[in-house]
Amino acid sequence: MEPTDEVLCQRVANRDEAAFDLLVARYQERAYRLAWSILRNAEDARDLSQEAFIRLYQSASSFAGRAKFSTWFYRILVNLCLDHRRKGRGWRLWLRDEPDPDSGESLLDRQPAPFADPVDALGRERTLTKLWVAVDRLAPQQRAAVILQVQEELTTPEIAAVLKCSEATVRVHLHRALRTLKKTMETS
Amino acid sequence: MANHPETELGPYVRGELAPSERERVARHLEACPDCRQDAERVRALLTELGHSVPVAPAVNWGCYRAELRLKLDARRARRRAWWSRPLPLALSASLAGVLLFFAVWNGWRSPGVEPMTPEEAIIGRRLDLLRQYSVVERLDLLEEFDVIRSLDQLAGTQEG
Repeated sequence: MEPTDEVLCQRVANRDEAAFDLLVARYQERAYRLAWSILRNAEDARDLSQEAFIRLYQSASSFAGRAKFSTWFYRILVNLCLDHRRKGRGWRLWLRDEPDPDSGESLLDRQPAPFADPVDALGRERTLTKLWVAVDRLAPQQRAAVILQVQEELTTPEIAAVLKCSEATVRVHLHRALRTLKKTMETS
Repeated sequence: MANHPETELGPYVRGELAPSERERVARHLEACPDCRQDAERVRALLTELGHSVPVAPAVNWGCYRAELRLKLDARRARRRAWWSRPLPLALSASLAGVLLFFAVWNGWRSPGVEPMTPEEAIIGRRLDLLRQYSVVERLDLLEEFDVIRSLDQLAGTQEG
């Protein structure tokens, strides 16, 4: 039987390298994907998701096991990403029409193709892309809450644990985010 | 209608509310068409978002893990070096000692400047002597007043 994440984390605290490698293998895609969703920069996402694993290794002994391991780890990762954005290195991505310095493409043009049924009209694809551009422009906490709910499928209590706030606060973040996104859909 | 459950519509649609809360919201939705419409919009929006999550750029996971391992090893080596290498510690301690020595030595060499007496201050202002204070402070004012009066000539010969 495969050891649980919590058991592996305890082993990492005892400097079990194999346990650490196993945790990395389990969470590498989720960590990178979540970091990329918040930062919208592949290089930064790679660096910060790796940094989160390093922090996990260094502070595994502080994981008390009261919360789920994933919640604890996501908290480390989301804090790193939000701090990174706060320091302003990602602020270029907040400007709607800021062209990429290398390609000259606008932010809208640089968005990766969303999941789309090939039969869908081009207008629908553009609407969905616009929707995620609008997600990118949300306030940091609102954006993180939406991504954690929609992409990572966390519940409100889990999001509250990751963002270290109350469930009521998460509900407010999500309500405001959805209100903004609804306006985007309506104007589209 | 008061108390529209705006912030609870999302959790309601996702089935996250406690039974009593869920019942309360459901009753409100039956009676409030605006909130009912809102709830439908929230449901549609969450569905659209879930179906259209942008895909992150591809990663070579072997390289990712190798990079991570290098970074972790470098971080561990840096931490070990700070605590275990004796030479930087000895150098830091020596430097601190040298700095302390110079600080104390300079304190001994430079006597504190004694403040002017009121009489000296008055005379200095009248005769513009404050610039020459280092000369004046060494003289007995009452006995050497003549020297003070011709101080300008004295300062001129010293500078020459």
